[in-house]
Amino acid sequence: MASFRYALRDTFRLLFRHWGLSLLTLLTAASVLYILGFTALFALNVRHMVSRVEGGLVVQAYLKKGALPDDLLAKLKAIPVVTSLKTISPDEAIERLRAKLGNQARAVTLLGENPLPWSVEVSVTKAEYITPLVRDLMIFPSVEEVLYSGKLVERLSVISRTASGVSGAILVLTMVISALVIFNTIRIAIYSRKEEIEVMLLIGATKTYISLPFVFQGLLLGAGGALLAVAGLWATYASAVAAIRSSLVFLDIIVNRQVLFQFFFLLFSFGATLGWICSWLAVHRFTSRAMRPR
Amino acid sequence: MDIRLSGVTKMFEPDIIALEDLYLSVDKGEFVYLVGTTGSGKTTLLRLLSREYLPTRGQITVGDKNLRKISRREIPFYRRDVGVVFQDYRLLPNRTVFENIAFVLEAMGIPPRIVQNRANEVIDQVGLWRRRFLNPPQLSGGEQQRVAIARAMANSPSIFLADEPTGNLDVRTSEEIMRLLLSVNAAGTTVIVATHDRYLVDAYRQRLVELHNGRLKRDEHRGRYDIDGEL
Ligand SMILES: Nc1ncnc2c1ncn2[C@@H]1O[C@H](COP(=O)(O)OP(=O)(O)O)[C@@H](O)[C@H]1O
Ligand SMILES: [Mg+2]
Repeated sequence: MASFRYALRDTFRLLFRHWGLSLLTLLTAASVLYILGFTALFALNVRHMVSRVEGGLVVQAYLKKGALPDDLLAKLKAIPVVTSLKTISPDEAIERLRAKLGNQARAVTLLGENPLPWSVEVSVTKAEYITPLVRDLMIFPSVEEVLYSGKLVERLSVISRTASGVSGAILVLTMVISALVIFNTIRIAIYSRKEEIEVMLLIGATKTYISLPFVFQGLLLGAGGALLAVAGLWATYASAVAAIRSSLVFLDIIVNRQVLFQFFFLLFSFGATLGWICSWLAVHRFTSRAMRPR
Repeated sequence: MDIRLSGVTKMFEPDIIALEDLYLSVDKGEFVYLVGTTGSGKTTLLRLLSREYLPTRGQITVGDKNLRKISRREIPFYRRDVGVVFQDYRLLPNRTVFENIAFVLEAMGIPPRIVQNRANEVIDQVGLWRRRFLNPPQLSGGEQQRVAIARAMANSPSIFLADEPTGNLDVRTSEEIMRLLLSVNAAGTTVIVATHDRYLVDAYRQRLVELHNGRLKRDEHRGRYDIDGEL
């Protein structure tokens, strides 16, 4: 247990005796994680907006005259990607028509008995699910006609897939770059203690004993950097939300607190883990090399 | 612990032979001078004994351990039983004398109270009590050498290796260092001192092993630095 106490003491010694280097590592981690978080938030919002538009797409299925929608509803409810179902009775349909026609609404009365059929409006989560849905609907016995905007659906599918792909790729790239930057910063910090580590190995300190303070240090600096990044992102995002609400109202950005909290927590964990793993790798590599007999 | 070298050759790639076909036995509690001109292989031999190097050929056993066969995980524990005074001291420049000695004991997981007592004890033994809170760069060469010796003594090793411990020191300081090494030996520790300090070797005669171009040239009980009859 004494070893653990020495390790903690040495962690703070590392942090504060070489505070310049610690500060540099902290700020590097903070900036890199800020950029990562910013990219991730941007990607999340793009996906959010695309999926909002996709969710707004509606397929209308008109039933054959006299057919009731119950069978169709049962079938549609069983499809997991269906997000909303709305049944429109002939009476409602005629009301809608009246409302649309406005002052020529009286013409509707000329129709005599209501000629409109039951219809169902279906929404799904993603544009790419629409084409198969339409195919299913068309072969359904009680369905007379299916209406949807085909061209728009195709384009949206493409945009959605591209957006996911591009934002995913950028995110992975940013993650790799942040890992590399943090790894190298920590490696430099460890390299500056080269002499000390070598002497410790020569006098019989174990690799674990030597590594612990560096690993703790990496964990603390990673977590600290992540906290700074989260604070910065919070401020940036809050002002972005305010700006969008006042001028770009049509942009539908994520304001759900729970989602944002989860996101920031994830970023924080990522930073802490990254600091921990990077310092472990760096010090492990270093000691293994120094230990290798010639 | 007894030290046995049999047929030890150490080569550095591609064709530098630092030690060649060396047979040597040192019994527990012996004091041995390792002499020879620079480049004769003294440092290489000490580094083989501290397991910094592996022999290219031959076997080295220390106690019941074959140094070729001990695993990486065992090396730290082996080294704790071998105190080394390096030719260039290898002190940590930004730690005090006390810290330089205490960290060896701490690395072994010894509790703080005992570390403090033991570190103070060896600091007193090497006569640096008043300088215990100074950093190595503030000390003279002889004082730094004594810190290095105190550090190697701290965990009471069975084997004590010193590489030219009086290298750059004046005669009086060298004698102080020598008396320290003899006191370490008197406590039962095997001591091997690499040196080309003619004066010391002749003033404090002990077993003398001479290397020449990596080969064993002489192994004499209470030998003199120069071969009798030679100038
Ligand atoms: N790490 C090394 N790489 C290559 N050659 C070395 C190395 N260490 C020692 N040597 C060579 O081995 C020979 C013996 O060196 P060393 O053991 O340092 O001698 P000494 O300590 O007696 O002066 C020298 O010729 C030296 O150049
Ligand atoms: Mg040498």
